[in-house]
Formats: sequence, structure tokens, C-alpha cells
Amino acid sequence: MEKNKWHAFLFLLPSIFFFVVFSYWPLLQNLYLSFFSWNMVSPNMTFVGIENYTAVLGSEELIKILANTVVFVAIMLVLNFVLPYLFSFVLGHLIERGKGFYRSTLFMPATLSLAVASILFLWIYNPLAGPLSIVLSWFDLESPRWFKENWLVIFAICTIIGWKVFGYNLIVMLAAMLAVPKEMIEAAKLENASNWQIFKQIIVPMTSSTAIYVFTITVVFGLQYVLVPVNMLTQGGPDQGSSNLVYIIYQYAFVFFQTGKSAAFAIITMICYIAFLLFRTKYLEKKVYYEN
Amino acid sequence: MKTDKKELMWHIPLLIAVFIQLWPIVFMISTSLKDMDQIFQATLNPLPFPPTLNNYTTVLEDFPLLTYIYNTFIIAAGTTAMKVITSVLAAFAFIYYDFKYKETIFNSMLLTFFIPVTVLIMPNYLLMSKLNLLNHPLGVMLPAFADGMGIFLMRQTMRGIPKALLEAAILDGAKPFVILRRVILPLIKPSVIAVAILFFINSWNEYFWPLLVLQDKEMYTLPLALQMFISAEGGSEWGIAMAVAVLTSLPPLILYVFCQKFILNTFMQSGVKG
Repeated sequence: MEKNKWHAFLFLLPSIFFFVVFSYWPLLQNLYLSFFSWNMVSPNMTFVGIENYTAVLGSEELIKILANTVVFVAIMLVLNFVLPYLFSFVLGHLIERGKGFYRSTLFMPATLSLAVASILFLWIYNPLAGPLSIVLSWFDLESPRWFKENWLVIFAICTIIGWKVFGYNLIVMLAAMLAVPKEMIEAAKLENASNWQIFKQIIVPMTSSTAIYVFTITVVFGLQYVLVPVNMLTQGGPDQGSSNLVYIIYQYAFVFFQTGKSAAFAIITMICYIAFLLFRTKYLEKKVYYEN
Repeated sequence: MKTDKKELMWHIPLLIAVFIQLWPIVFMISTSLKDMDQIFQATLNPLPFPPTLNNYTTVLEDFPLLTYIYNTFIIAAGTTAMKVITSVLAAFAFIYYDFKYKETIFNSMLLTFFIPVTVLIMPNYLLMSKLNLLNHPLGVMLPAFADGMGIFLMRQTMRGIPKALLEAAILDGAKPFVILRRVILPLIKPSVIAVAILFFINSWNEYFWPLLVLQDKEMYTLPLALQMFISAEGGSEWGIAMAVAVLTSLPPLILYVFCQKFILNTFMQSGVKG
């Protein structure tokens, strides 16, 4: 390996430049803006100290936003972590025929835009004439107004994300499943181990590092994917019922024009993310180490 | 044949999943080929009869759709080209050179991948407005010119190149840039193409950041144009909305169908820890 660090720096420079200007500098700028009261257009900014933080942390809205965020994450973990995990086991080790077919069809929605998925499901969920309401009417059920009812709106939005992300997470998990030696599974089967035992005692420990990756992206990206259907279909409503920690930053900046509160929320959200990522490395990855 | 029967049972949940994943796409395409009457009277029928292209002709006549396609393509192609270049260069530095804080720099680049977009949008929006790049494709593209995941995937691929090959090139007196171009790039071409396809699809599909930067309708990309077909009460021009949705989905779907192996393999790599 070459040791000329100036040459190395030259190769890294383009990436470093864009990361510093568009990813790290904005973080600092948020911190700065969070101490001011401003509306993005007026020439004067007023220094208000930690007032934005106390306003944000003391508001009732925060509790609602946090509760929504937790519900979003919980539903997405089921749809985009637990389900792909189980399905990748079935696909990787319990069937022989049709693997290629399943792989390519299940992945297909992952290539589509979330904007497409959102408008498509807006029609599917349409309570008056949409296909789902027709299916429900066969069972004498009336379709709820999916995007207008509290909590139901979160579920409906999560299914859009679930539909789009399921295939991607499945493929990533499948790669880990296929890395588990077939002989180990065969040997366990010879000893009459049930599929559940195989899953719990062989698969889970041997695929845990990829599982943690999928777990992480489900939480971290899930909340970002949510932005598209929320912005297109509900704008955070009804009554902030579908807003969350990531969307509220956008709302305060570009809907309410309160940059200080937006920046304060951005900093709080960033702290939550960092706490989550640290939890992941400190706690979850240690567990992987012991299990292996 | 006990095992076969057992296997059959596992195909049931898989087929249900396939149905859930594919049906909305089929439904989108079939709705786009139906006229208004069929949309409301034969909603669930996947076969429009007779199929009509009216929705598509209406869209092409009433909206500057070709402009949207052009805008989307320019942004996606430009972003992809720059991302591939910055990713390959950075990955090469991590493979070829030995320097202090290598892991720290690598990790801090990878970490940018996890910063939520909304945390960055307000400061970046203010910056674009200062640079007079609001409403300009470059304003959409600039923040996306480097990509943590791209660097990760390229480094992963370059690691597979035998060290001996690089050392032989160094002994021949080749300069680093020549080694990258003549030795490394030809070897990793398939991966570079795969990553480029991924970047292109992602950028093509992008909605949130372009929405903030592009304000005039003539500057819109296809995903943004979709927004215009949602009215407050959910809208009723579903045939037209689905036609635009199909047109937006076509390039990614075609790329996927033809380059499936590439795409799936790259995605499978992305979860592998380095």
C-alpha cells in the first residue's frame, strides 16, 4: 500500500467536500439556528437562547409526535423486519422450487418511486369506490376513511412503506440466510429439529449481523420514507395524527416558517438517532459477538 | 414424497406475498388503460375491455409531460455520473493508500447515509437560495453528489481485487490514477454499472428534496408531477393519475427487468458487513 497521504487526500477530496458542505455543515447550522427566532425571509433574527428548546420540549405536541413515531416504528418493524426475516428463512431453506421467481417478483415494488406507491394506495384505499372498499363490501363491511382517522392513518401509511421496502429487506436478509451452510441445517433436520428450533438456534445467531443492519435501516430509513406519503396524502393530519419526529422538522420550517423550532426539533431528532445508533453498536453488536 | 408435501405448504404464504406485491402494479397498469366507466364499474377487473390509450393521450396533450421526463432524466443522469465518480475515487483511496484516521474518515462518510433528510433540508435550502440555485436542476443535484453507500459498495468490490495485481502495477512504475483506470476499473466494471443503475433509479424516484427546490411547474420531475393529480378529496381522474404513475415507473421497471441479476446482487452485498 502506498503511504503518500496527500495523494490519498486528493482522491477523497470530492467526497469530503460534498459531505462537509451538504451533510455536516448543515448540522452545525441547525444548532446555530435553534437559538434564534426567525421566519426564513425577514432580515432580522432574534437571539432567544434556549427558548425554542423549552417551547418544543414543554409542548403537548411533542408527546403526540413521540407517540406517533413509536407507533410508526413498531408497525414498520413488523412489516419490514420481522416479516422479511421469516420469509427469507422460508425462501432460503424451506423450499427448493421457484426461488428465482419469488426473489424477482417480491422485489419488484422496491424499484418504484414512493410517490407512485402513495398515489396508487390512495386509490386502493379510497373509501367510496376504491378496490379495497369493494372487497370489504363483500363482507358487508364499510371502508373506514383510512387517511382521515387517527391511528388508522399511521397503519395505512406504514402499509405503503411496507409494500415498497419489504422486497429490499427480504433480499438483504436472504443473502445472510444463504451464507448459512446447508450442511448445518441438514444435520439439524436429521436430528429431528423442528423448523422453529432451526430458526432459533442456527439461523438467528448466524445471521444476526445482517439482521441488525436491516433492523437499523428499518428504523432509520422507515421514518424518512414515511415523509413522502405523509406529505402527499395527509400533510401530517388529521390533526397532526400522522406527523412524526422527522416530518415535524419539515413542517416547522416550510409550513409554519419557524426556523428556530424546526432547528430545535432537528437537533432533538439527531440526538435520538445518535442514541439509537450508539445503542445498536454498544448493545446489539456486543450480543452478536457473544452469540458467535 | 413427504418432503414435497411439506414444501408445498411453504409456497402458500410466499404466493400470498407475491400477490400482495404484484397486484398493485398490475392494477396500476390496468387502470391506466381503462376509460372512466370501466374504472368505476369494473374496478377489480384486471383486463380492461376494450383497452384505451385515451388517458395517455390526454396526459401528453394537457401536460408538458415530455418536459417532466426530460427534467427527471437530466437530474438522474447527472447525479448518477457524479456519484459514481466520487464513490470510485474515494473507495480507491481507502483501498490503495495507508493513512492516519482511515477508519474514522470512512465511518464518518458512511454515517452521512444515516442522517435524516429533513435534518438537512432547511440549511441546504437556505444555501441553495443564497447560491441562486432554487428552481434549478443543479440545486436538486448538488447535495447528492457524494454517497456513503456508494463508497461502501465500491470499497467492498475493490477489496476483492488481488493485492498482487496492484503490486505488479506499482513495480511497473504506474501512477495511481493509471492503476485505477487501467487495472482496477476494467475489473470492477460490472459492479460500477450495477451501482450506477441503483443510483439512477433512486434519483429518478426522488420526491422530497426536488419538491422543495423546484418551484415552477416547468421544472418539475415526474414524481412531483404526480402530486398534481391528488385533489383534496382524493381526486377522481384515476385513469390519468395512473397513466402518469405508469410512465414514472416505466424506466425503473425496465431497468429492473433487464438488469435484475446485477441489481439483486448489489443489494445483497449492501447488507454484508465490511
